[in-house]
Amino acid sequence: MKKIIMGAVIACLPFTSSAYAEDPQEGGTINVVVQPEPPSLMIGMYSNATTQQVGGNIFEGLMRYDKDLNPHPLLATAWENSEDGKTWTFHLKEGVVWHDGKPFTSADVVFSIDKLLRETNARLRGSLAFVDSITAPDDYTVVFQLNQPFGPFIRLFEVGTTPMLPKHIYAGTDYKLNPANHHPIGTGPFVFKEWKKGSFIHLAKNENYHVKGLPHIDELYWHVIPDAASRSVAFETGKIDVLPGGSVENFDVPRLTELDNACVTTDGWEFFSPHAWLWLNNRQGPTSDKRFRQAVMYSMDREFAKSVLWNDYGKIAKGPVGSKTKFYDDSLPNYEYNPEKAKALLAEMGYDGTPVRLMAMPYGETWQRWTEVIKQNLEEVGIKTQIVSTDVAGWNQKIGDWDYDISFTYLYQYGDPALGVSRTYLSNNIAKGSPWNNAEGYVNKQVDQWFNEAAVAFPDAKRAELYSKAQHQIVEDVPVAWLMELEFPTIYNCKVQNLVDSAIGVNDAFGTAWIKQ
Amino acid sequence: MSVQTLLYIGGRLVKGAAVLLVIAIFNFFLIRMAPGDPAQVLAGEAGATDAIFLQQLREQFGLDQPLYYQLWIYVSNLMQFDMGITYRQQMPVFDLIMDRMPATLLLTGAAFLLSLLLGILAGVVAAAKHRKWADSAITVAALIFYATPLFWLAMMAALFFSVYLEWLPSFGMQTVGQDLTGWQKVTDIALHLILPASTLGLFFTAVYARMMRTSMIETSRLDFVKTAKAKGMKPSRVTTHHILRNALLPVVTLAGLQAGQLIGGAVLTETVFAWPGIGRLMFEALFQRDYNLLLGVFFVSSAMVVIFNLITDVIYCVVDPRIELSK
Amino acid sequence: MNVIKSLTQNKVAMVGFGILFMFVVIALFGPYLYDGSPWRMVQRPFLPPFQNSNYILGTDTLGRDVLAGLIYGARISLLVGLVSTTIALLIGIPLGAYAGYYGGWVDEVLMRFTEIFQTVPSFALAVVLVAIFEPSVYSITGAIAIVSWPPVARLVRGEFLSLRSQEYVLAAKLNGQTNRNIIMREILPNSLSPIIVLASLMVASAILLESSLSFLGLGDPEIMSWGYMIGAAKTVIRQAWWLSFIPGIAIAITVLSLNLLGEGLNEALNPKLSGKRES
Repeated sequence: MKKIIMGAVIACLPFTSSAYAEDPQEGGTINVVVQPEPPSLMIGMYSNATTQQVGGNIFEGLMRYDKDLNPHPLLATAWENSEDGKTWTFHLKEGVVWHDGKPFTSADVVFSIDKLLRETNARLRGSLAFVDSITAPDDYTVVFQLNQPFGPFIRLFEVGTTPMLPKHIYAGTDYKLNPANHHPIGTGPFVFKEWKKGSFIHLAKNENYHVKGLPHIDELYWHVIPDAASRSVAFETGKIDVLPGGSVENFDVPRLTELDNACVTTDGWEFFSPHAWLWLNNRQGPTSDKRFRQAVMYSMDREFAKSVLWNDYGKIAKGPVGSKTKFYDDSLPNYEYNPEKAKALLAEMGYDGTPVRLMAMPYGETWQRWTEVIKQNLEEVGIKTQIVSTDVAGWNQKIGDWDYDISFTYLYQYGDPALGVSRTYLSNNIAKGSPWNNAEGYVNKQVDQWFNEAAVAFPDAKRAELYSKAQHQIVEDVPVAWLMELEFPTIYNCKVQNLVDSAIGVNDAFGTAWIKQ
Repeated sequence: MSVQTLLYIGGRLVKGAAVLLVIAIFNFFLIRMAPGDPAQVLAGEAGATDAIFLQQLREQFGLDQPLYYQLWIYVSNLMQFDMGITYRQQMPVFDLIMDRMPATLLLTGAAFLLSLLLGILAGVVAAAKHRKWADSAITVAALIFYATPLFWLAMMAALFFSVYLEWLPSFGMQTVGQDLTGWQKVTDIALHLILPASTLGLFFTAVYARMMRTSMIETSRLDFVKTAKAKGMKPSRVTTHHILRNALLPVVTLAGLQAGQLIGGAVLTETVFAWPGIGRLMFEALFQRDYNLLLGVFFVSSAMVVIFNLITDVIYCVVDPRIELSK
Repeated sequence: MNVIKSLTQNKVAMVGFGILFMFVVIALFGPYLYDGSPWRMVQRPFLPPFQNSNYILGTDTLGRDVLAGLIYGARISLLVGLVSTTIALLIGIPLGAYAGYYGGWVDEVLMRFTEIFQTVPSFALAVVLVAIFEPSVYSITGAIAIVSWPPVARLVRGEFLSLRSQEYVLAAKLNGQTNRNIIMREILPNSLSPIIVLASLMVASAILLESSLSFLGLGDPEIMSWGYMIGAAKTVIRQAWWLSFIPGIAIAITVLSLNLLGEGLNEALNPKLSGKRES
């Protein structure tokens, strides 16, 4: 059996060479904003953004991913795929210990993925349907037997998707009620110290970290500051060193980035590639007509929104797949801002002026303003629009119950169309009760087939071809109206060096970061 | 204190408890009329979820039980002073509220004292200088503050004193990321308190000033004052001994009745100044559909109103023994 | 018509009335006279006031005309103020009248009921009501009415309590008039003046309440309001202070004029007090 060696045993985290031009300095404290306060740090049960931001420094996955989404060794040092693409063998790093001193072994990997995450992690559960068995031939080897080749398999192992959790703590307990959820134990560069609810979360250097010489930082504080303006001020006054993407209002971003000691990066979101669009209810009302949906695309002045609301960060979305996600097809036609074309399409379909409800997304200022802009755009081509405002709970319920005409959302792509894109368009993914599936009710059997084949096609060239076909068809059908590939700038004090060096950004950043005195 | 007084207070407390219970039940049903539930909010933040995850959360929170059963559990727990667990923080509601209570009490207490003292002072001055320019100035100022939206005043104050003059911090209760102790900590909190407490207090200062002025003028026309003047008492002595004491009564009563309401009214001030009190907590609980927490905040703040009303009545009785508590 | 005469002689009240009248005119006819939707993006964002003669008060975060917003905002403020006060009166007057007229257990039950609404912090209750029934002009008006009727009930009850033993009421009873008639024809007209004064102040506080709700993001998303304008400008207060300053002034002036009018009414309707004023 021919084996493809994809990783090598490297002592240090591997893809940081450029930043190592200067010798890192040891010690110091970094203050970070965490917004909103996470419900828990137990990354295996809560996939909330801030749970991942903090928990990603306590826990680790088997791999890390660089900005081109290539895997690099972390807890796994090497991995091989069999020729038929169905058997994956992982070799684990030896000498890794949990924060409580117990050794990390293959039993932990099998338990984490096969038992705990299979039960608690909704997102991973879908992918694990392709995995028949997970076995541990010895303490440092894990074998995954797949029922068919699954292209995105290699992109499943970042800490947010598949964190390694300690078997000796969780096995045989009620996972949700385990006391360790309040005192998380991982293998990561930082150990949990204290969480003063409503105030701060304190992590400290893991002295026994398995990567020699890391981390450089002694203390890590995540501050809960519920008010957006206050977060900005805290950064200005130097109380806060890092503002993770999305933690201040967009209107404040230009001012903050112009400060003397402020550095800014949009890197570190490649894995997520947040993709914003308008849900268009394909089932009923004017939005059930393809021409109406195309008219919506032509009516929107997305450049205006990008420059006024997003400070020119981000990219106009062409279609369902983000440009940083694998298998993005750049040859897609573009829906430019063209009110005349929109009006013509509406006239052609005989739009009778039936009002449509536009539901705002209750995620802060920018989204409220964006709703108002879109309403204006729609009204200017003659679409009668009524804004419905609601809060997070109401919004989730209405999308899940399909009780809307048009509504905002943005979703992560997770690096691969099979993980983060097809879920929105597959017709077997239509189910009431969730705002994350095919909530628009798009049904195209041909697209279903392309997506399903592409997920398990082997090798990648075959996948690319199928995904291209699917993208072209979807862009023609406009099941949802794509807005932008969002970019959330991470703003940080320039004394913090080597902050973002992976595709998940600040979520696993602090293990390699250091402070320049 | 006489037996009668104690009986009266006891009776009032029982009645108050009954009212609070009705409020708790009313709120219990009210909040459940809101769309969505806490599981959906938590799942919504998670960015990916399915029916299984939602079901797990609902079971964990006990939301899969029939509504009447949930009500029964809630009320019987409440009877034992147990307000349940918050869904999000997984912490006893009572602890979380008590955690935030000092901030709110500090803010509202400072605002209350400030407005009462300043209001009474302004009212007395205005009445003493009746129809002179000082009276007009105070009356006009009171009218303006009475008409100005609190949140707007707060924003303007923050803009002027924090951003423009850079004298005072514009948000929070303490400086972030500094573990101050002793006097430094007290000074730090006091500096943070100035803006929110004065903006919250200004509206009530206006209310009390206007009321005090009217009350002083009305009292000064009463017969016993005229008698005192006729007897040749010094005007200043008449003012302090006779008029002030009697004119204070309605103001103190009103203030007492409003003290409880202040806590609920602090939501706006706490929002603008990011003050970590229970007003904000309520606002957050509402949007997270954290039923237990929201009900808890309502319960506690309603209980405050009941207690403050009772205290006011008792004080009233002490100040003016002619008034009977049994009224 | 003593009342109107004494009101027209009260300069302060007339100033209030004049300002209010102006706002009513703006609310009623402004949108027809001033061409421009408050939502349309017409100029570059953050245009300061007095720089462009077409948009004299400048533009907001999205480049929308601030003056248009002010004009349309007058509508919602006055509308919500008037309608919510009317509803509050419709709840509070009958409740207070029955409680005061019948006394006894009716009084006890109705007043306990009122007490419940007075015990829950009113602003918090309004916030919860609007959030639960989702922000719209209806839910906002309803919520404001629900939190503002108890003082009306208390006031009316007090009036009825003191009037019900008056001779003319007793005489009407002896004449065999129905309770309903006595309440409607005999007592209510005699207790109207304090109700009118209270109502004018309630409109003022309803306007403040509406703006507070909009400020918190609980406004009707279809309707431009002053509170919304301030709330939307909150995050940019450092870049563009005038965006929050201008609508705040509009609210303050409106509320002030209502208060002045209310005081004038109080003096005109309450001869005892107006008599004092002359002394």
